[in-house]
Amino acid sequence: MKINFNNRDPVYLQVVQHFKEQIAKGMLEPGQEIPSRRELAGNLRINPNTAQRAYKEMEEQKLIYTEGNSPSKITKDESVLAAVKKELVTDAVGTFVASMRSINLSLEEVMDLVKTHYDEAGEGKS
Amino acid sequence: MIEVKHLRKKFGRKTVLQDISFTAEKGEITCLIGINGVGKTTILNAIMALTPIQGGQILIDGERVSKRTFEKVAFIPDAITMLPQMRIKDAIAFMADYYHCWNQKRADEMLNFFGLKVEERIANLSKGNTAKVNLLLGLALDVDYILMDEPFSGIDIFSREQITDVFTSHLIEDRGVVITTHEIQDIEHLIDKAVLLDDGEVKMAFNVEEIRETEGKSVVDMMRQVYQR
Amino acid sequence: MKSYLKLVNFEINRFLKLYVALAAFTVIVQTAVVIIHARSYLATAKDAVTKDMIPRETFLSDYGPMSIVRAMDGWFQLPIAICIAVLLIYCFMIWYRDWFGKNTFIYRLLMLPTNRIHIYLAKATAIFFMVLGLVSLELLLLPAESKLVELMVPIDYREDYSLNGIMEAFGDLNILFPKTITEFLIHYGIGLMMVFILFTSILIERCYRLKGILYGGIYFAFALVIFLLPNIVLIFAHTNYLYPVEMFFVELLLGILVTAMSIGLSHYLLNKKIRV
Repeated sequence: MKINFNNRDPVYLQVVQHFKEQIAKGMLEPGQEIPSRRELAGNLRINPNTAQRAYKEMEEQKLIYTEGNSPSKITKDESVLAAVKKELVTDAVGTFVASMRSINLSLEEVMDLVKTHYDEAGEGKS
Repeated sequence: MIEVKHLRKKFGRKTVLQDISFTAEKGEITCLIGINGVGKTTILNAIMALTPIQGGQILIDGERVSKRTFEKVAFIPDAITMLPQMRIKDAIAFMADYYHCWNQKRADEMLNFFGLKVEERIANLSKGNTAKVNLLLGLALDVDYILMDEPFSGIDIFSREQITDVFTSHLIEDRGVVITTHEIQDIEHLIDKAVLLDDGEVKMAFNVEEIRETEGKSVVDMMRQVYQR
Repeated sequence: MKSYLKLVNFEINRFLKLYVALAAFTVIVQTAVVIIHARSYLATAKDAVTKDMIPRETFLSDYGPMSIVRAMDGWFQLPIAICIAVLLIYCFMIWYRDWFGKNTFIYRLLMLPTNRIHIYLAKATAIFFMVLGLVSLELLLLPAESKLVELMVPIDYREDYSLNGIMEAFGDLNILFPKTITEFLIHYGIGLMMVFILFTSILIERCYRLKGILYGGIYFAFALVIFLLPNIVLIFAHTNYLYPVEMFFVELLLGILVTAMSIGLSHYLLNKKIRV
């Protein structure tokens, strides 16, 4: 696991964001165990307190759950998982649209571009 | 908690520290930041009663510095302070001999992690390995607080990475750490609290995550604000 | 207390190599001097008695018999002088090496979870033991060297001395080899006191650096004046107010006072004023 942190956003939120991306991409599966906060701090080279705070935030957002003394796991709650995906997509589209608007492209132009690129990327994959 | 209250220090007629106050909590990494010569090392020396002070007070968990506090606070200076002719194992034996709170298990663990050989003489160690032994001698003490003077300066990148790993491990966890640095970039994500020093005063002290959250500013942004006026 | 003993052991170990070298040097040089003297004496005696046909009695009365005392010349005393010089220098080194060594060890010492005065007492004790050690060595060496003369020179040509007799031959160095317990206590008591005064002066320098050289010097002189006060009064008053035994107790008291003052001041300096 490696994150390139920026220095201006709270590190714990960047960690949470990273987990959301991993979940949305399917790199972390529902019910999968995640590293302890100490392991996470070590892997990411961040302060253990920050790792702790990130996990607390994820628990509050119901992204992870802990049963008794066993390690924390990624949630199996479909609605949460769907919400995570939706949030990421909404964010990505929001950023994309904002940058398109800033260079004054019309919706049609954007849609054409998107279509071409989407198809190309699909062909490249197969 | 380490409390430094209105610390004042002169070298001859030159006042180095005018009025320094800050606290360092257990379980947190507090970083003293300032350019070279601002008196960071002097503050750590004062906490360990290694230099006389002209005013103010230093309390460790509410207690004045005494021989008892040396089992509570460990100081890791920027250079190793064991005799050069000693082997690593001699240095370890020396520490184990004098400190009740010496934790041999932890020492062994670090020897292993750093890949150090106990038969080697301190005089023959590379800079990076010297820094590691120095760190080991401090961290293997079961103390509540650790003071480190420029733990990252003047060593190679791989040693630096290993030392960074130590910071995020159980070796540091739950303890109160005060470190000094004049280069914050490498450890921005490691610290809890920053204390910016200039002109013998604390210009600003803040929790780094809080500042990121409330003002969207990095530690370097805050430094720019304080030092570039 | 335990850490004090550990520190004494540590300080002695740090000096051990040089110390053993000093001891070996003394043994070798003194033995060599004795052998050279004995052989040259024997050669002279042989020449005189067999070649020049001088009767033994005449030779002995002209030339004198061989004895260890004959061998105790300048060369014999040189190792002792060197030991004294090295230990005197080491009285300074034992402190300064902790500040000026490659790795400033004084950090380590001052941060030990023990009373800092233990460091001071341990260093003084180490010096004291090292002096006693060398003196004991010499006391063992003298009878051995005397035995060596006995082995090399026939009884007709030599004169044997008791240990006391041999020590007389040392002249001024005699002060190192007291003959009674009282003398021992006085000589070495004063010696130890001087070490404490010197150590305190060194600490004053270490605390105040440039100005400290002056302050340290002043302290050294001041402490000596206090100790020697009765003698100074004696010189100026020209009369002896005190009986010798009274003088002894006054000096004893002053010695204890000066020692206590040095230790007390050092305790304060080490805790409040010391700089690394």
